[in-house]
Amino acid sequence: MTAEDDEPTPSSAWMIGVAAWFIPGLGHGLLKKWPRALLMGGAVWLCFFIGLRMGGHMFDLNAAEGSSQLLQVPPMIANLGTGALYIISWLLGYGFADDPQQAARATYEYGNTFLLIAGLLNYLTMLDAFDIAAGRKS
Amino acid sequence: MTLFAALASVVFGAMGKDTTQERLLYGVKVFAEFMVIGLVLSWILYFIP
Repeated sequence: MTAEDDEPTPSSAWMIGVAAWFIPGLGHGLLKKWPRALLMGGAVWLCFFIGLRMGGHMFDLNAAEGSSQLLQVPPMIANLGTGALYIISWLLGYGFADDPQQAARATYEYGNTFLLIAGLLNYLTMLDAFDIAAGRKS
Repeated sequence: MTLFAALASVVFGAMGKDTTQERLLYGVKVFAEFMVIGLVLSWILYFIP
């Protein structure tokens, strides 16, 4: 272990991490890494809206009939990665419908996958912004 | 699948490596891997009833 390892993570890095999670691309934007903010944040936003447009649905703790609430948790964590996008959709009740008519759409499962991946990609983006802010990478 | 591969590889490419050229190459490599593996898996699954 080196002296460098003992240095505490600056509080600003945690704030950047939270900002990066809450609004995709904002973390890199605050660090003035504009190309990365545009590419990584843009990819997350695109993924999210493509997923919604394809008719995918996001997960919350309300289990569908015959399904366990526990099984909702892992995909919900993935969806939660999109931060404000998930929260606003949840507050508006948009993108959470899981009725048979929607599930019958040919692009339904693709949409679900895009929505899950949007959240997971934003977790990666958040970690990247956090590492840059903590001085662990450039 | 192409769209998914493109978006995911943009994020992986932007995160990995040190120089812009290395990032670009890494992004292209990840994209190609997604596409090839996706096509191979879909052909394997095609033969499984």
